[in-house]
Amino acid sequence: MLKIRNGRDFVGGVTMIFAGLLFIWFGRNLEVGNSFQMGPGYFPTALSLVLMAIGALIILQSLVVEAERVEPQRPNWKAYFLVILAPIGFGVLLSGLGLAPTMFFLIVGVATASRYANWRHSILLGLFLAVCSVLLFTRLLSLPISAFGPWVPFLGDLS
Amino acid sequence: MDIFSNLWLGASTAFLPMNLLYGFVGCLLGTAIGVLPGLGPTATIAMLLPITFGLPPESALIMLAGIFYGAQYGGSTTAILINLPGESSSVVTAIDGYQMARNGRAGAALATAALGSFFAGTVATILLAMAAPPLAAVALNFGPAEYFSLMVLGLVASVALASGSLLKAMAMIVFGLMLGTVGTDVESGTPRYVFDIPELYDGLNFVAVSMGIFGICEILRNLESEQERSVGVKRVTGLMLTMSDFKRIIAPVLRGTALGSFLGVLPGGGAMLASFASYAMEKRISPNRAEFGKGAIEGVAAPESANNAGAQTSFIPMLTLGIPGNPVMALMVGAMILQGITPGPNVISDEPALFWGMIVSMWSGNLMLVILNLPLIGLWVRMLTVPYHLLFPAIIGFCCIGAYSINNSVFDVFVMAGFSVIGFALSKMRFEPAPLLLGFILGPMLEENLRRAMLISQGDPSIFLRSPLSLSLLIFAVVVLALVLSPSISRKREEAFTE
Repeated sequence: MLKIRNGRDFVGGVTMIFAGLLFIWFGRNLEVGNSFQMGPGYFPTALSLVLMAIGALIILQSLVVEAERVEPQRPNWKAYFLVILAPIGFGVLLSGLGLAPTMFFLIVGVATASRYANWRHSILLGLFLAVCSVLLFTRLLSLPISAFGPWVPFLGDLS
Repeated sequence: MDIFSNLWLGASTAFLPMNLLYGFVGCLLGTAIGVLPGLGPTATIAMLLPITFGLPPESALIMLAGIFYGAQYGGSTTAILINLPGESSSVVTAIDGYQMARNGRAGAALATAALGSFFAGTVATILLAMAAPPLAAVALNFGPAEYFSLMVLGLVASVALASGSLLKAMAMIVFGLMLGTVGTDVESGTPRYVFDIPELYDGLNFVAVSMGIFGICEILRNLESEQERSVGVKRVTGLMLTMSDFKRIIAPVLRGTALGSFLGVLPGGGAMLASFASYAMEKRISPNRAEFGKGAIEGVAAPESANNAGAQTSFIPMLTLGIPGNPVMALMVGAMILQGITPGPNVISDEPALFWGMIVSMWSGNLMLVILNLPLIGLWVRMLTVPYHLLFPAIIGFCCIGAYSINNSVFDVFVMAGFSVIGFALSKMRFEPAPLLLGFILGPMLEENLRRAMLISQGDPSIFLRSPLSLSLLIFAVVVLALVLSPSISRKREEAFTE
């Protein structure tokens, strides 16, 4: 009876095989062609097969080679959630709120991911970076974002 | 001599006031991020790439290069002063450098690091200037088959020299190559893996991808093991080296420079490997080997010269062949493409001012760093007191704006967020992100050359074996792989990385 000796590598190998299958599935309508005249699907399909083969080897290795004992990091779910959500929030809010408020909320929000955060520091940092980014990006580098978007009453730039 | 007129052309580009200024800004930024642990040159260069779009190509690349070697200097400063290597390439410097600092010889250690780096940088620059034109001339005769084999060799060697599992690194390369196929197929115009999203027709943006897997992902990992840093540094005095110090560092600096220059050229090599290898070598052959670990000045001189030499010479394959050996070089290739320059052997003849200007700017940048670093040490140390809980929100903020500004669209911000998740999941399974980025950058070129070669040979794969150059490149790749897999070497490799 085979035993999984290295769970992390086993999952890694399965993930690689899954990734290969995904590329094959989504590329199923691409013309593969032949090795003389390769179609758009040839290279990705070939790579997917190679990736799946490597994935299988990784799985095989995880059944044979014992994993070294490492102290696992305690997962910090709050930090993962906030740090990954932050850019998404930024993208969603930017066009409506404008750069300054978006930046401020992003900084204050994401700062709470740290164990050492304190509100006073975060708010000051948020204000500081909001002002800096507006000056640097809308004034100096003239990106097409307004400092305040249409959702902000009175200050908002509706144009 | 031809080389002098070339260097003269380079000097007239590099010493333009504007380029000097951007070089200076790059070095300054590089040193700063080198000092700050948890923020590496890869993430910083990715973050700043969008800002350089508006600059002329020379200034943009000079500044980005400055960040890269500035980081090598900055990393060693904190390694010596507080035993906290800011960069992976200065990990070994911390061993003896910090002991020297505890013995009250911090000044001497810093001066040794700076002088050794400067000497190595100068030698490596000359080497780069001499080796690049003939290499590029050889590469100009490369057909698609040779190019394909060269890229395969580059990718294979970059896994061989990286740390960690070989299989996993290969998986990451292949996955990176696959990600590179997203977007419109150049030959047939067919959209691939775009899911009817118009932004994807140009492919995944490499700046967004690298900010995700290096910048944001690094933050996720740092927040797991977050600790308050307490920094207690005494005043640094006595920057002058004594005569006996000088005598002791000459040989290690020379050896470190030679080894570092060699390892830097290899794909996957570069600064980190160079510093580890030269420390290990010095520990074996130095007449003062008993002092190693207790504050031997050779233990600072050798790895510091080696890492700087390696950092400089890793530009050679990137500039002459268009093949990046490490993630930073991959970003430089990307920066060139964004500036409308096709990386490869044509750069020297098509853009001589850019090419030679960059080379000369490396030397002038090194000079600036020596002059800059020693008097500014107080400032760098104070930077360390910036707590991480203020630093990381700022990094995330700048990454978001940076991603947005690539195409002025929030789509790239979402791509970045997506790749931070992918990168983090992969790192949890102990897959290294660096080969992924190399594969991603080289993917389109690799595919194009493969398809062209097969068209020429009418579908006969033996074309890769019939051309002698292509054959020898492939044989070399196989030899490299075999060497890594052979048990004795893999044990040595393990040793080199644990030491």
